[in-house]
Amino acid sequence: MGTLLKRHRWIAPVALLAPGVLWLLVFYLYPALQMFQSSFWSGTLETGFTFSWDNYTNYTKALTSYAPMYARSIMYAGAATVLTFLIAYPLAYTIAFRGGRFKNLLLFLVVAPFFTSFLLRTISWTILLSDDSPILRVIHMFPGVPPEFRLLATPIAVISGITYAFLPFMTLPVYVAVEKIDFRLVEAARDLYAGPWRPGGAIVGFIVGGGLATVLGVAFEWDFLITGLVGGVTGAAIGWFFISESFVRVTFPLSVPGVFAGSLLTFIPAIGDYVNAELLGNPDTTMIGNVIQNKFLTQNDYPAASALSFMLMAGVLVVVAVYARILGTEELSASAGRM
Amino acid sequence: MTRDDQTTPMLISRRRVLAGGALAGVAAFLAACGGTKPLVTPAPTAVPPTSGPTSGPSASAAATATAAPAATPSAEVNWANWTYYIDVDDADPNKHPTLDKFTAKYGTKVNYSEVVNDNEEFFGTVQPALQGGADTGWDVITMTDWMAAKLIRLGWVEQLTLANRPNFTANLGDTYKGVNWDPTGDHHAPWQSGMTGLGFDPAKTGELDSLEAFFTADPRWTGKVDLLSEMRDAIGLTMLKLGLDPANPTRDACDKAVAELKKARDAKIVRAFKGNAYAEDLKAGNVVLAMAWSGDMVQVLTDKPGMKFVVAKEGGMLWTDNNLIPKGAAHKGTAELLIDFYYQPEIAAEVEAYVNYICPVKGAADVLMATNPDVANNPLIFPPADILAKLHIFGGLSEADETYFNQQFATVTGKG
Repeated sequence: MGTLLKRHRWIAPVALLAPGVLWLLVFYLYPALQMFQSSFWSGTLETGFTFSWDNYTNYTKALTSYAPMYARSIMYAGAATVLTFLIAYPLAYTIAFRGGRFKNLLLFLVVAPFFTSFLLRTISWTILLSDDSPILRVIHMFPGVPPEFRLLATPIAVISGITYAFLPFMTLPVYVAVEKIDFRLVEAARDLYAGPWRPGGAIVGFIVGGGLATVLGVAFEWDFLITGLVGGVTGAAIGWFFISESFVRVTFPLSVPGVFAGSLLTFIPAIGDYVNAELLGNPDTTMIGNVIQNKFLTQNDYPAASALSFMLMAGVLVVVAVYARILGTEELSASAGRM
Repeated sequence: MTRDDQTTPMLISRRRVLAGGALAGVAAFLAACGGTKPLVTPAPTAVPPTSGPTSGPSASAAATATAAPAATPSAEVNWANWTYYIDVDDADPNKHPTLDKFTAKYGTKVNYSEVVNDNEEFFGTVQPALQGGADTGWDVITMTDWMAAKLIRLGWVEQLTLANRPNFTANLGDTYKGVNWDPTGDHHAPWQSGMTGLGFDPAKTGELDSLEAFFTADPRWTGKVDLLSEMRDAIGLTMLKLGLDPANPTRDACDKAVAELKKARDAKIVRAFKGNAYAEDLKAGNVVLAMAWSGDMVQVLTDKPGMKFVVAKEGGMLWTDNNLIPKGAAHKGTAELLIDFYYQPEIAAEVEAYVNYICPVKGAADVLMATNPDVANNPLIFPPADILAKLHIFGGLSEADETYFNQQFATVTGKG
């Protein structure tokens, strides 16, 4: 056996690759090809389906009819990715640099929600955000909150739900990236006069805070100028006081691979998510996943559903390719390998 | 989150009685448990199954069971049903007394599986076998009427042999007869039904009795209204509101209903389209008015006695889950005996004391009146004649029309 392996050095890598490749061939490539084929079908369940390249119209129809849902999915998934980043980064940073002996416990707590089913966690959000819940009661205590204000069945609830669901997918890669940073580099930066990053921090804070608040304002049909301004000023204050130059020049660049991996791990599943929109949304917050589910299961329109799914897949692929071009994939595989 | 939720009856019977709190309720409950003597004399189990069902004919069957039984009961029969949709033994949740009685009578073991969660999903599991002309592995499947209609339309359902369904022939409620999707009336046997009407909190909305409420902006309920995500219920009720007949669902009627629903949605009256999750919304106070199913509302009324369920003056919908024998079933004859077995009023009454849906079997109410008057007198479980008269069954749709309706409805719910 030993000599055999020595003589045929190619056996070991092939044998190691085989299970994964086989798995992907059977459970990914074959269904994907089948889906591609059925996206060129026409017909119905009862009459049977026939394949023809002329049915490329399935794609054009899907795009013209469901562009708003695609756009909404990208917007919600994008917003959720930004939010998970804003929440996860300080979290991961703190655990990595200040966690001390509680590091493992804190990491466990990040993953703990996964011990409950995804569906149950989302359903529990419907209870947390319900109109009579303590959270809403507190919000309604603030002056100026209109009595009909609610969170459940709004875009806010959907985006928050997605953010919550995918938070660990951002936290863990970022943690891995931050944790391996040699802190002596930060100290060196400080020695070289890296102080607080006041104006830069304020500007970045203003853009991020203002952007988020504006999205919120648009979603709720508030006066988004005022909302944006309030958000911007808050963000600027946070940036002014909390972002240091050593962070901007050393820590953050070194953690970019983690952010890259985390944002992909968040954005890709989030864009296809339909559970949050189904349970926490309203008829104006449906995402492309809801459309596909309805096409497949309720309307039995397999060709249209396949075309929609395939386009989603292709779209995500393009987004990821562009993103990878900008930030580089080597770090992705590196940090993913470390997880 | 579609229709399934509606037909997922909850484990309520116990709670209903306990929540009633009053000793009388408990007494009635005890009476129900102890008093429901098997009126059917079970044949001694020693009788080998080959001796046939004639050895133990039920009281009501005796009158009509003149035809020779066509089937020799098989050793087992496989039934796919929804969860919490049959009586359960008080001591052992895995035992179903009525099924045990069937076994005692025919010597057949019933493999009762609660595997149906969703009509479409279940359809997906049996479709390849049926399409290929093979046995699905199931002898009885319980499907909602539009899915039953689809299966019958596809020619995938066995006909019930006349000789094996004496109780069914004698005791099927009149409301259930003459549906247009089963012209011969012998391909499906209703199992349980429910009504669709208005569920609301009168303390917040005031008394309501009209479907107009769903389409009228009013500060008391605007933004606090759930409509059903089940196409036939939402479109059906809207048709009734418009004075159209849901039994005759034309595309024109569909367009009108969809336009009406869109208006309500655009006026922000509607909060969301929900499956049975509307019940949680009602209880939590997220909505004060909803299109509601009677079975769920039995539960809601138990938890929140202030709530109300009303069949609107314009009418309500009646939907039914039906027992069907899929084409090529291995134990067709025994399946027929099983389906017919539940058309004995005493057996149906036992099931009804447990589930909260409407019973299609004539005479079950009379049996329950003696054993469990709470159930027999509950208008949501045994609706009085004047309410039954207001109920409409959504008409059968051709495949093309069904696609059309679903597509149009999806544009209202935001999924199309």
